[in-house]
Amino acid sequence: MLMSFLHPFYLIAAVLLLISLTLLQGLVEQLRNRAKSFFFLTLFIVAVNPLVNHRGTHILFYFRENPVTLEALMNGFLMALSLLAILILFISYNFVLTPGRFLYLFSKILPQTALLAMLTLRFVPLLIRRLDEIKIVQKSKGMTITEGRVKDRAKNGVSLVQILLTWSLEEALQTADSMKSRGYGVTKRSSYERYTFTKNDIISIVLLLVLFAGCLIGLFNGYGNLTLYPDLESTSMGGAEWSVFVLFLLYIGFPLLVEGREQFRWRYLN
Amino acid sequence: MARSSIYSGLIVTGMLGLLIFSIIYFPEHYLMISFLFIGLTLIPFLLRFEMRKITGKELVLLAMLSAVAAVSRVPFAAFPSIQPTTFVIIVSALVLGAESGFMIGAMAALVSNLFLGQGPWTPWQMYSWGLIGFLAGILRNTWFMKHLWGKALFGLITGFAFGWIMNLWFIIGFLGEITFSSVFAYYATSFYFDLAHAVSNVFFILVFSSGWIKILQRFKRKYGLLAT
Repeated sequence: MLMSFLHPFYLIAAVLLLISLTLLQGLVEQLRNRAKSFFFLTLFIVAVNPLVNHRGTHILFYFRENPVTLEALMNGFLMALSLLAILILFISYNFVLTPGRFLYLFSKILPQTALLAMLTLRFVPLLIRRLDEIKIVQKSKGMTITEGRVKDRAKNGVSLVQILLTWSLEEALQTADSMKSRGYGVTKRSSYERYTFTKNDIISIVLLLVLFAGCLIGLFNGYGNLTLYPDLESTSMGGAEWSVFVLFLLYIGFPLLVEGREQFRWRYLN
Repeated sequence: MARSSIYSGLIVTGMLGLLIFSIIYFPEHYLMISFLFIGLTLIPFLLRFEMRKITGKELVLLAMLSAVAAVSRVPFAAFPSIQPTTFVIIVSALVLGAESGFMIGAMAALVSNLFLGQGPWTPWQMYSWGLIGFLAGILRNTWFMKHLWGKALFGLITGFAFGWIMNLWFIIGFLGEITFSSVFAYYATSFYFDLAHAVSNVFFILVFSSGWIKILQRFKRKYGLLAT
């Protein structure tokens, strides 16, 4: 959706809706931390587009004898907004879809891969702790990764990882044996389920599908997309365009409505 | 072998068909098509892994190597794009084979992103690192991978290839007009990062690969995986 509706009004509305969603979810800190890198990435896309792309009829000015066109500027602006919306969406995504839920989703389709991912996920904090211990011990022997030439630091870094490798592979044999003694692979594995499918979920899915289909129909009839070439279209919107816009707003704003309803009920109706 | 090559043939032709179809019918939706593309490439590998009967020891070995590959980025946090993850994936694949190499690469990417935050780049990283592991495993018995210079050359090429594939999701999706000059400009800005990755791969392979391969072979025997 965010990559297809390349129209300034749609995308600005989407960015605003998604920012309010992250704010409502209490992700102010994450948003603030990334604001700077988001800003420069957006600026980069807006700036690069007119420099490499000279298509279009509305020439604004010449930069080193190359025409800078309004179309290219608009194109860069749209692309940047689209990327911005997706990046903001992922802040909220990472908050909602925790690793546990992510693996739960995949354990239905790919149980063995999900188990492998879960084991790997569990080893990562363990290995980071071990790496710290190794670092301290090796530092007393004069091996450091914070000083000296890049070559030596890189060499020391991999030496640390090598110690980690032998230590952990040795230890992991125990994990494997303990899995075997508890009967791994004897029968089909069962899994613990925490999530149930409720009536609300079905209603949400149906609503989202209807909105999605409405948006797609609008898109295929040429709404919600600013024509840049050969002639730059005006950004103003006519009658039918507004109804597609409303569908789009409802689709993007759906999580905001759900989240807002929950918070309202929690704060005011309790 | 015969059956798997029929499958790979089908997949390759299917992908080509999908590519041509997408260029004709959806010229403006490169990014979505590319995600479909990546997804469809990942699925056969994951399904094959699902269908294999796998022992606890093999599972733990794969998980531990993926975790080591993911964590090996930690001591290198100070330098951008110098990290031994690619090196760990290559040597593991050289010892354990193509399928294990693919799983280790894909898992390392997935899990490190579960910690660092997912993004549209996750499937691309899974794909690139998985592919590096897969290729290293496929080529492990060829004459040039038996030599140290062959492995170093492989590290050099894959170092650049990784960056080039990772550039694609951004270019396809967000650079707008895909022209030769815009793509060239973008690749030129990433050149030094790719170079650093490639050179560090070569360095790690030259200095550490024989030692690491020895270690992994010992553990392969210890885990009872001599037959594979």
